[in-house]
Amino acid sequence: MSPEQARPVRLAHLHKRFGSFVALENLSLDIKAGEFLTFLGPSGCGKTTTLKIVAGLLTQESGEIYFGDRRIDTLPPSRRNIGLVFQNYALFPHMTVRENIAFGLRMRKWPAAKQAERVEQMLALVRLQGMGHRKPEQLSGGQQQRVAVARALAFSPDLVLLDEPLSNLDAKLREEVRLDLRNIQRQSRQTTVFVTHDQIEALVMSDRIVLMNGGRIEQIGSPKDLYDEPATEFAARFVGANNLVPARLDLGNGQAGARTDSDVRVSLDTVVPGLANGVDIWMCVRPENIHIAADSAAADGSAATVRDMVFQGTTVLVDLESDGLGSLRAELPARRLAGIAPGQRVGLTFAAAHAVPRH
Amino acid sequence: MPRGLTRFFTNLGWTVYVAAIVTWLLFPLALILLSSFQGTISITTDVTNLNLSAYEKIPDRYWNSLWFTIQISVVATVAALLVSVPAAWAMVRGKLAERRFLSNVVLLPDVVPHIILGIALLTLYMQVGLAKTWLGMLLAMLSLSLAMGLRFTEALLEGLPEEYELAAETMGANKLQALWLILMPLMAPGLATAALFIFISNMVTFELLFFISGPNASPIAVRLFSDIIDRGIMPHSVAMASIMIYISIAFYAIVALTLGPKYLAGSNVSRKG
Repeated sequence: MSPEQARPVRLAHLHKRFGSFVALENLSLDIKAGEFLTFLGPSGCGKTTTLKIVAGLLTQESGEIYFGDRRIDTLPPSRRNIGLVFQNYALFPHMTVRENIAFGLRMRKWPAAKQAERVEQMLALVRLQGMGHRKPEQLSGGQQQRVAVARALAFSPDLVLLDEPLSNLDAKLREEVRLDLRNIQRQSRQTTVFVTHDQIEALVMSDRIVLMNGGRIEQIGSPKDLYDEPATEFAARFVGANNLVPARLDLGNGQAGARTDSDVRVSLDTVVPGLANGVDIWMCVRPENIHIAADSAAADGSAATVRDMVFQGTTVLVDLESDGLGSLRAELPARRLAGIAPGQRVGLTFAAAHAVPRH
Repeated sequence: MPRGLTRFFTNLGWTVYVAAIVTWLLFPLALILLSSFQGTISITTDVTNLNLSAYEKIPDRYWNSLWFTIQISVVATVAALLVSVPAAWAMVRGKLAERRFLSNVVLLPDVVPHIILGIALLTLYMQVGLAKTWLGMLLAMLSLSLAMGLRFTEALLEGLPEEYELAAETMGANKLQALWLILMPLMAPGLATAALFIFISNMVTFELLFFISGPNASPIAVRLFSDIIDRGIMPHSVAMASIMIYISIAFYAIVALTLGPKYLAGSNVSRKG
């Protein structure tokens, strides 16, 4: 709870196999004290395996885990001082909310008065004052989730782990709870590792995101880094919607550009560092960064034909067949739709084009 | 025929059908209970002269046998559950590779005809001097209780997600605390039901104990059987049989009241294989 005590967490060269399946391959990572870090990736990418190894519910083949200077991966789960929020919460059904939250304090032999005080603090933190006497079954899914968080935070763990804690909530509640969780974490400055396969959750909640794929780290960065400048094709495709066009890097005349096979050149705003002139790249343009002009001659990017339009309320998806860049999807505010219809020729402008290496 | 009338006759047909089944099932029991209050050897439907004389004439050796049966039933039940819980925990949570094989093997005593087990036990007990002893009877009964106990506790543990224990451990509980503070309270209602079912099944065990019982270690079912073979049906035998029925009814009432009648319908897990 108190930031001055908080210790950074270091994962060093973690390796884990299940039979012949390599679940984690030489994973190393530094987690700053007080940070909200998210492991994001598709199922089987190793994010849950990492969480279980840190919590002590799985044993790694090799590698170490440190809290500050103290090595903790040799300790049993009960002595690691980690708060774990399970996917299904695992609240003790025979105990009240108060007893659930106090459990970790009880195990640490806190005096009863201090336990009661801390439980009230926690109930206030998760906005469940007056619910302390209830049994978990008398709470809604979202409330149970907050009790699980309070229970994991109560004993001032060095690290809190959240294992896809929103996946059991319905869509509307999920949106609420993820902001809740984010605020609770911002208030408590509790070092937190969150595991999810949902990129929106990751973008909304995290200080930093660790994008994982096939047991390895694909990219580490702030949500904005990952969204605006993905480092790999996987990152570009996994986080957010994207248009990927195969091209070659053209570093001529001082301004980076992407040159397609049909010899269309598009200026690039950002490029993954270290790429040489002429290498194969994917040119990445987010749908919201494709601007459409009703007059095809007025555009400085490329021309296209509108294939289909899907109205979704605030925005409209526009499927385009471009001249030289293949099929593209644009997303634009519904009010900027005037004068565009399927079959029409339009002009395209790319507001922010990015390049990642293509293998 | 009008539709209402058709429905009436259909319902009547089903009512008669069910009533016939219930009568067939309960008639012998009702007859025994009735005759236990008539105090005579002949079984009649005469209800004009009901009395308790048969109950008063129950001999001490019956009461001793009943008391003996209750004693070993209770001890066997408690011992079986004490052994079963850790064993089932190891089997379910330890993810033993031989688990499926093991959990079927331990059921063998319960699925082999008990009379055959009884013969086997007699052969064994004669060698080691356990025949006709209190301990011998208890051990025999324990084999059945254990088979049932393991089946119950295994099912109970399977129904409890491991996350509860893991959550307790991540919060600082050691294995023993997780077991005692989390697992046991969650299993308690199930264990109580298991205990009731094992106890009542112990109370009526007959074939298994028939060969190995003796004058000083004779469960009530065996005692009644031998007496009836020797002397024919006496009114006090009928009275003791009725007492066994009361115990069974009391047991079912307890289960129905604590867990709801629904549980009884699903209770065939406790039936002998």
